Amino acid sequence: MKIFEKILGGNTLYYPGCLTKFVAKELKEKYEKILRKIGIDFIELSELEKCCGSPALKAGYLEDFKKLAEENLKIFKDHSVKKIITNCPACAMTFKIEYSKALGKEWNIEVLHISQVLEKAIKEGKIKKKEIKEKITFHDPCHLGRGMGIFEEPREIIKSQGYEISEMELSRNESFCCGGGGGVKSNEPELANKIAKDRIEQAKKTGAKILCTNCPLCYLHLKENAKEIEVKELIELFEDL
Amino acid sequence: MKGEFLSEKTKAVLWKVVLEYREKRKMALLRNNLEYENFREELYQIKKKAISEIESLKKKAISALKENGINVFEAKDVKEAREIIEKLAEGKTKIIKSKSNVFNEIEEEGFLTDKELTETDLGDFICQIMGEKESHPVLPAIHLTPEEIAKKIKEKFNVDLESKPEKIANFVRNLLREKISQSEIGISGANAITSDGKILILENEGNISLVSKWPQTHIIVSGFEKIVENLESALKIVKASAIWGTGQDFPVYVSIISGPSKTADIQNQVVIGAQGAREVNLILIDNGRTKLLKEGFEELLYCINCGACLNFCPVFHQIGRNYGSKYLGSKGIIFAGFSESFKKAVDSNCFSCTSCMACYQNCPVKINLPELMKKLRGYLEKENLQTGVNKEMIENIREFGNPFGKTEEGKIPKRLYCC
Ligand code: SF4
Repeated sequence: MKIFEKILGGNTLYYPGCLTKFVAKELKEKYEKILRKIGIDFIELSELEKCCGSPALKAGYLEDFKKLAEENLKIFKDHSVKKIITNCPACAMTFKIEYSKALGKEWNIEVLHISQVLEKAIKEGKIKKKEIKEKITFHDPCHLGRGMGIFEEPREIIKSQGYEISEMELSRNESFCCGGGGGVKSNEPELANKIAKDRIEQAKKTGAKILCTNCPLCYLHLKENAKEIEVKELIELFEDL
Repeated sequence: MKGEFLSEKTKAVLWKVVLEYREKRKMALLRNNLEYENFREELYQIKKKAISEIESLKKKAISALKENGINVFEAKDVKEAREIIEKLAEGKTKIIKSKSNVFNEIEEEGFLTDKELTETDLGDFICQIMGEKESHPVLPAIHLTPEEIAKKIKEKFNVDLESKPEKIANFVRNLLREKISQSEIGISGANAITSDGKILILENEGNISLVSKWPQTHIIVSGFEKIVENLESALKIVKASAIWGTGQDFPVYVSIISGPSKTADIQNQVVIGAQGAREVNLILIDNGRTKLLKEGFEELLYCINCGACLNFCPVFHQIGRNYGSKYLGSKGIIFAGFSESFKKAVDSNCFSCTSCMACYQNCPVKINLPELMKKLRGYLEKENLQTGVNKEMIENIREFGNPFGKTEEGKIPKRLYCC
């Protein structure tokens, strides 16, 4: 099958990214499961997987970033990767936008955030829609929303799992950062936590009991700072995984 | 991080104002029949074109302004700008001033302290008497309540005032009228300058009209990036400044100054100095702007100083003016890197930016501030001004291919150097 695909159009890679792989491990398994469930034939790089370079780029290590982009391109080529699916908005944005800038025409791999893949599967009837049972609110991750213009896909997925979305005052294009990005979580933890706590308050104002997001960093960071509201990553809404 | 966090009280006031602003801005666009993205694109193109040919526009503008009887000075840095102002103010003591970001840029301890300098913008005046710094470029006193202001007025002027905005405004109006009537010099900024020699200044209060017209001498301080091709473009910028600055359709007043006041009413003999300023001086300052152009940061010079980038910035909402230097927010930090020093950019909390892109999304001229911030951090890296945490992160990536370093089976890394 792999060889056949190589001839036809190359491999689809599921790239969880460092944060999901090493920290939010519980999400990785679930994402793998759902991809299989909707019939996506994918490969993973496991130990061969390298950081996409987002933290290096954001911190200003531009040469390191360029090098990582080149190394990753080589790894992907060696594995005949034609399409990347990732659940991490930072990785997705880095591959899609920053790699094109850094590598130019050399970079011709299709990049999809997993929400785009899952939304398509819902449309195709591969994921069954559930009855609405509960209210939920959604935090647009900056790199997913403002960064890549992906606003509706995660919302469709949430609805499919039986939730009604009660929007925050600041959402979609106007979403308010969780405070963890850009290296702030590690460089300025106190600041990062204060921002997250304010975001949590905004979420609580909607009256929802669950705050859902679709990014491993937003998820971990908001969860760490949450009180009186449960934080869930999008994939955790799928009860049967 | 340098500096303190804002109090919960200040944060609440800030949010209230910002959310009201958001609604006003939406309505202002609607009433002007403007679509958010289309108008931004139009403004972006205007500024992009102007900055791409700024050298020739500047030459044209300077010769047209001079032709119109305006004295034009070019200052390469803040020191030169201060010297020019000091020279122009020689022998005079009473100065009135309206809001000017460029004046804030050139100001330093001891500058003009031998003069009596009065702020005429209500917000700035309040900050001046409170001994506080502005907390927002468009809403300088946003962090102060009417009660606090009234208390200070009692202390300073021994006047009992009801703590109501209209009472405070009225008290200041009367007080300032006296100062204005005695003034010899007026200092203001500019919002746009056209290549055919017109200077546009916008305002709501009417104080700039007085500052620019009452005293004998008017001094305008501006960055050269304010120059655009023509009046049509300049008026679009004026409109955008109102919409994005305060959520208004249009400013209450726009002064278009194309020379000193004059009359030819007596036998058609031109006399300079009727009711307006007899002498108009324009100081065009560089102070790092050419460096920004050369280093690929030209987008920063599109800035019209509306302050919109701060309004939804998660960091600004926590640390206020500690986020920035002479100018606030990510724009201010990047500007500090090139007009002051890279060290200053670090001290202005350059590493507090979460790259959330809210500034970019809100900027009327579409300055991709997060992109410029990454680039600036690239300079800091070369200057060895990185944070310890970032150094650990990059070492991990170099050695282990991930930001967390050596990862052990079943263990979760403690520090999340991401993303
Ligand atoms: S960077 Fe953009 S949003 Fe910020 S002050 Fe300048 S023009 Fe306004």
